[in-house]
Amino acid sequence: MNGPFTKNTLSRRQALFGAAGIAALAVAGCSNSSGGKSGGDLSGNRDGAMAKYGVGDQFKATSPLTFSIMVLSNPGYPYDAKWPFWSELTKRTNVSFQPTVVPLSDYNQKRSVMVGAGDAPTIIPKTYHPAEEAYIASGAILPVSDYLDLMPNFKDKVAKWNLQGDLDQLREADGKYYLLPGLHQDVWADYSIAVRTDILQKLNIAVPQTWDDVHAMLRTMKAAYPNQYPLSDRWSSPGPGPGANRLMATLGDAYGTWAGWNYQHSWWDATAGKFVYTGAMDQYKQVLQYLNTLVSEKLMDPESLTQTDDQAKQKWANGQTFVISTNAQEVINTLRKDIAHIPGATVAKIPVPMGPMGATKTGFRTENGVMISAKARNSKNFVAMMQFIDWLWYSDAGELFAKWGIEGTTYTGSVDDGTFKLAPDVTWAGLNPSGTQNLQVKYGFFNGVFAYGGSTKLLDSQFPPEELAFQNVMNGRRTLPLPPPHPLSADQREQATLWETNLLDYVDQQSAKFILGQRPLSQWDQYVTELKGRNSDQYINLINQAYQSYKQKHG
Amino acid sequence: MSTPRTLDPPSGARAAPRSRPGRTRRHPHPRNRLTWRRAVRRDWRLYSLVIAPLLFFALFRYLPMIGNIIAVRRYEPGGSLFGDEWVGLHYFQMFWSDPTFWQVFTNTLILGGLTLLFTFPVPIILALLLNEVRTTSVKRFVQSVSYLPHFLSIVVVAAIITQMLDSNGVVNQALHAVGHAPILFLQQPGWFRQIYVSSEVWQTAGWGTILYLAALTTIDGQLYEQARIDGANRWQQTWHVTLPGIRPTMVTLLILNIGTFMAVGFEKILLLENPLTYPTADVISTYLYRVGVVSGSFSYAAAIGLFDSLIGLTLVISANYLSRRLVGASLW
Amino acid sequence: MVTISELRPGRKAPAPPARVRIKPSRGYRVFQVVNAVILIGVVVATLYPFVNILAQSFSSESAIRQGSVNLIPHGFNLTTYKTVMKDSTFWTNYRNTVEYTVVATFISMVLTTCYAYVLSKHHLKGRSVLIGIAVFTMFFNGGLIPNYVLVSQLGLRNTLWAIVLPNAINVFNLLVMKAFFESLPGELEEAAAVDGLTTYGILWRIVLPLSKAVIATMILFYAVSFWNSWFSAFLYMDRSDLFPVTVYLRNLIAGATGAGGMNEGTSSDTSLQVAASIQAVTVVLTVIPILSIYPFIQKYFVSGVMLGAVKG
Repeated sequence: MNGPFTKNTLSRRQALFGAAGIAALAVAGCSNSSGGKSGGDLSGNRDGAMAKYGVGDQFKATSPLTFSIMVLSNPGYPYDAKWPFWSELTKRTNVSFQPTVVPLSDYNQKRSVMVGAGDAPTIIPKTYHPAEEAYIASGAILPVSDYLDLMPNFKDKVAKWNLQGDLDQLREADGKYYLLPGLHQDVWADYSIAVRTDILQKLNIAVPQTWDDVHAMLRTMKAAYPNQYPLSDRWSSPGPGPGANRLMATLGDAYGTWAGWNYQHSWWDATAGKFVYTGAMDQYKQVLQYLNTLVSEKLMDPESLTQTDDQAKQKWANGQTFVISTNAQEVINTLRKDIAHIPGATVAKIPVPMGPMGATKTGFRTENGVMISAKARNSKNFVAMMQFIDWLWYSDAGELFAKWGIEGTTYTGSVDDGTFKLAPDVTWAGLNPSGTQNLQVKYGFFNGVFAYGGSTKLLDSQFPPEELAFQNVMNGRRTLPLPPPHPLSADQREQATLWETNLLDYVDQQSAKFILGQRPLSQWDQYVTELKGRNSDQYINLINQAYQSYKQKHG
Repeated sequence: MSTPRTLDPPSGARAAPRSRPGRTRRHPHPRNRLTWRRAVRRDWRLYSLVIAPLLFFALFRYLPMIGNIIAVRRYEPGGSLFGDEWVGLHYFQMFWSDPTFWQVFTNTLILGGLTLLFTFPVPIILALLLNEVRTTSVKRFVQSVSYLPHFLSIVVVAAIITQMLDSNGVVNQALHAVGHAPILFLQQPGWFRQIYVSSEVWQTAGWGTILYLAALTTIDGQLYEQARIDGANRWQQTWHVTLPGIRPTMVTLLILNIGTFMAVGFEKILLLENPLTYPTADVISTYLYRVGVVSGSFSYAAAIGLFDSLIGLTLVISANYLSRRLVGASLW
Repeated sequence: MVTISELRPGRKAPAPPARVRIKPSRGYRVFQVVNAVILIGVVVATLYPFVNILAQSFSSESAIRQGSVNLIPHGFNLTTYKTVMKDSTFWTNYRNTVEYTVVATFISMVLTTCYAYVLSKHHLKGRSVLIGIAVFTMFFNGGLIPNYVLVSQLGLRNTLWAIVLPNAINVFNLLVMKAFFESLPGELEEAAAVDGLTTYGILWRIVLPLSKAVIATMILFYAVSFWNSWFSAFLYMDRSDLFPVTVYLRNLIAGATGAGGMNEGTSSDTSLQVAASIQAVTVVLTVIPILSIYPFIQKYFVSGVMLGAVKG
């Protein structure tokens, strides 16, 4: 109850305003016309820039420059001002950073407060789409799509890897995009399910290829261990999502819909040429049906939908469960270590099981990226800054540097021909486990703020052999096309938000009930009607309208 | 020089009005004719003591309040910090007509009310129980231990709760021992209120006793002597001496807690709730958090915030008034 | 003459009444037993989680992950303590916490005490306005952005004043102190005034010494709240060497539970699993100092007004 100060918590008022503060909050009198001109006259902004800068060039500012940047401090490798990363970067580019250090735990909130108050650093990384949308109407951030001419490496990769479609996902109603995303050559499939391979061997089960196989596998496991749940999943709490959100997302991909972590309200129906409401789709029902079957046959722990990761991991560590969702890192860092005490226990991440969609994969080749404060446009170092960002985040040399560091010191060899190796004493994740100097903690490389994206070869260099095998299988699958852009205007968004929250709450709630059997799936039609009562039709109409108007305006 | 003074028997939190000797009054005017000039001349030292605190309030509390103006102006991210145009009650209407808002509003009332109902008396009872402990060292030990939960962060507490209510957790093990099937408590909307209120009681009971124990030390021991001589047993002593003795503290805390009872713990609920329990667990702050994450209408949140604040203020004023009428004690 | 029953001053708490050897009634003995049971239950309920965390801090990582640590450490080792205590950032942050707490508590106590004392004077013209000013702020505030802009404009960011000043007065504490001051007998102050003391003198020499219990309590309340606060520091500090240890801890725990993990999504930056034992150790190291203040404060709860001063 209330006493002297609500203790070390977010007071409700803080939360109220903090949450809403994720919206655009602009400084008084901030001009909102800076996004208007495309490029514009840059003659006054070329201080420190290289006169000729192109693909493959090492960027080096012609005079020492400093840029302010927001740096996320990851507790696994907390910010350290003494990292060789900073000094080496300055040596190569003549640029140093003035960092605002923000803990990972509340990065988004601080970012929104700073941008809203007009105090944000110039470079704001770790921004996940669509978080940047909130700041657009205020003119607080730069429409980066207008300035691509200053970024040769970015343009080169977009062309080489055919990323136009992915970039279109980021476009707003005015046709521009406001985020410089990380670019991947190929969809990076990382998540799947991990299985106790020793149990598979013991029970003579082949590695499942399809979700039906998974079902059969779980049944066999249950028959051998009737008092246990073979599958107890994680990534449920905190939300949003009905629970077991990663598993649902994977299933969604297999059945041809959005679910769990990937849930979006609208799904592009290519044959019909319009968007439909995801939560009412037949394919979505099939996902729920699948999980409901698992629960009713006592193959999946019903607690999966609500338990914390620690609880799920505990069940795994105690040998009570044999299957769990995972990504590559978790297999090495968590799953394998946790069962080390069980004699003979082994674990592997199996290639993503297939469903009705067959050997396909969905995903975006863009990931979180950099927002740039609109004020930078008027700085005399603007061009130099864009070139710098282009080099560090989008050039092959820059990406390699940010990820692996200094040749000869932290690594040897090259990523392109498979000779890449970390230096003997340097360790990172599963590579070089005997090393004592952690690449991220001691050197500051492979920092999530700077190192992401890149060619498939660069990506592969971080995988141990078992993961490479997984990647090879996944790379053989066809990537599905992405939905066409359908951005909303600011007015439309205000109304859409309330609808979306209500719909999402309801979909999540009912999905959980369907899965757990608290509501029979025979009531599906009734549920669809209930969704309509919550404006699902109006919402989809809005989306389709937005799609049409965007198509008309921008083709 | 003995200026006549009246001394009303102090009752409750309202002490007697006292004249202030030392500076003899030149004109014995009745109180309500005291002009500012005279007041300042008489009490300038008192006024001087409040300058710094008032500066604090003005600068750090009232100045930012101007920002609340955006509840009635369209705060278009892009325009001024104070919004661009007057929209009157547009945002208020937005949430008044949103059925989900009323559902979470009801939940907030219920959870807040239940929390108040249970967390208010428990520290008092605990303080009284501790008061009966003879051995000082035991008393101190129990007290120090009892407020440990106050220091645990919400994240840790939520983890403890989920662990305890897990299908393999303590509670379900006990159920298993009596042959009952395991209950997944955190998935049932019907259990959320009990879970939340109990955890609040657990976390705040010990800490709440500090204030009451401090109050208990100010009770005159001779009153107990008196009561015992009059033949009162322990219960009657408690009823007639102890409770009245801590009544001012109780009244203060009750009024304040009534005013703020709608401020249920945002973080704890966020960590413990899930879509299955939204019907009973979701409160205004968590609902707004979800709305905010999707788009974030700052004006909308400000409007709701103002609505809340108004309720709180009304409650506190009413509680204070009632308290003055019924018990003779009040905050002001 | 003022009767004793009309006054409610505190005094040195007398020895428990059972000194008078009246044989306790049977009902009372039953009550004692029940009381003991209840209090034992309270101790167990409140001590258990803490002992659990303490045990975890001394346990091996794998034991914690299996959930096998209960009250006793499994795989006892001190390595986690050594790792945490070798981290210079941890100590820098710890020092910051102590600094912020001490300064903030001091300033808060001064402001709150002065204001509360003035509010307790019923004869003061404008008193209700002063109370209203304070109470109103309990319900209305400006919100995150206006506060941030204000602190920023005042140039307080990245200084300790950003933590100390914006939360200097807690109105709850203020009202409690006011209630205590009002309960002090007026005669003492009047007598002192007759002796020629000014308001300041009365406050300093008479009122404060009589109010040790409430002052000790408020110091405790303020100190604990500043010690535990992380939000202001997180908001207004941009350098990791200015963070208090609570921000450090919150980042550790949030990073490990993946509360921030959902946003990490499929990026290449999956946060490293911060060992659960490190979380436990940091919790323990953060809580213990503030816990140890209370026993020192406790002794002030037994002193109070000298009744003799007002007899007759």
